[in-house]
Amino acid sequence: MEITVLQKQGRVPVTVFQIKGDIDANFYEQLLAQAKEAHAAGMRDLILDLSEVKYMSSAGLRVLHSIFALLRTDAANESDEAMKKGLSDGTFKSPHLKLVNPSPVVREVLRTSGFDMFLEVHRNLKEAMASF
Amino acid sequence: MKPQPTLSVAADLQNLAPIRRFVEAAAGALGFEPEIVSKVQLAVDEAATNIIIHGYQGQQGAFEIELRREGNDLVVYLRDDAAPFDPTQVAPPDITLPLEKRALGGMGIHLMRQAMDEISHRRGSNGGNELILIKRGGSH
Repeated sequence: MEITVLQKQGRVPVTVFQIKGDIDANFYEQLLAQAKEAHAAGMRDLILDLSEVKYMSSAGLRVLHSIFALLRTDAANESDEAMKKGLSDGTFKSPHLKLVNPSPVVREVLRTSGFDMFLEVHRNLKEAMASF
Repeated sequence: MKPQPTLSVAADLQNLAPIRRFVEAAAGALGFEPEIVSKVQLAVDEAATNIIIHGYQGQQGAFEIELRREGNDLVVYLRDDAAPFDPTQVAPPDITLPLEKRALGGMGIHLMRQAMDEISHRRGSNGGNELILIKRGGSH
């Protein structure tokens, strides 16, 4: 798996990981390590561009879960109460971690696991950048 | 009788990609359509991951994956010599829980169950495990 890291500037600075390859149990730690490194260097908002990811297993979900937790802040709209309310009325999405262009196979994994309830999925990078 | 496609692999996470390629090629050769093949690929990947991580727990080992067409059904047999592990006994995760309230991991067996129509486990004749995954033809 290859990860290309880009820095973009929208209303806020956003880091983009362009991932190429499969996100499985053999490779998920590489992605997590990259995210932790970027976070230590100041990243607070991240887009995962999945356009070239053909396959993702539960290991990928594990990474998404970890990155979600890494980027969560103590802002009011991310509190436990806000999340609980937002989940019950379907309005809560992570404000810091967004996905771009997953394949049908990957999209199905996100749907089956319920991860599409928490994470915005955008068709392209431009749309994702505009959402921050 | 024509031999059924079988792959024997070392219990190493680096073999997950070759396993997925084997499933794709073998299931395709058995005449199953791509939508079924991709679901079976996911289930086998999750099962193989469990065998490697939880079954052999980093120790050396090997396991076997056999694909068969049984009527309209695609049946996958995974056989290993690892400690007993029956994924059918693992409780399903609550996917309505907020992300952070869920146990980290634990989704693999859920995805396997969603992808396949039937999963069964039995102890192998020499100890070890035999996991049987069935995808019914005509169901997606």
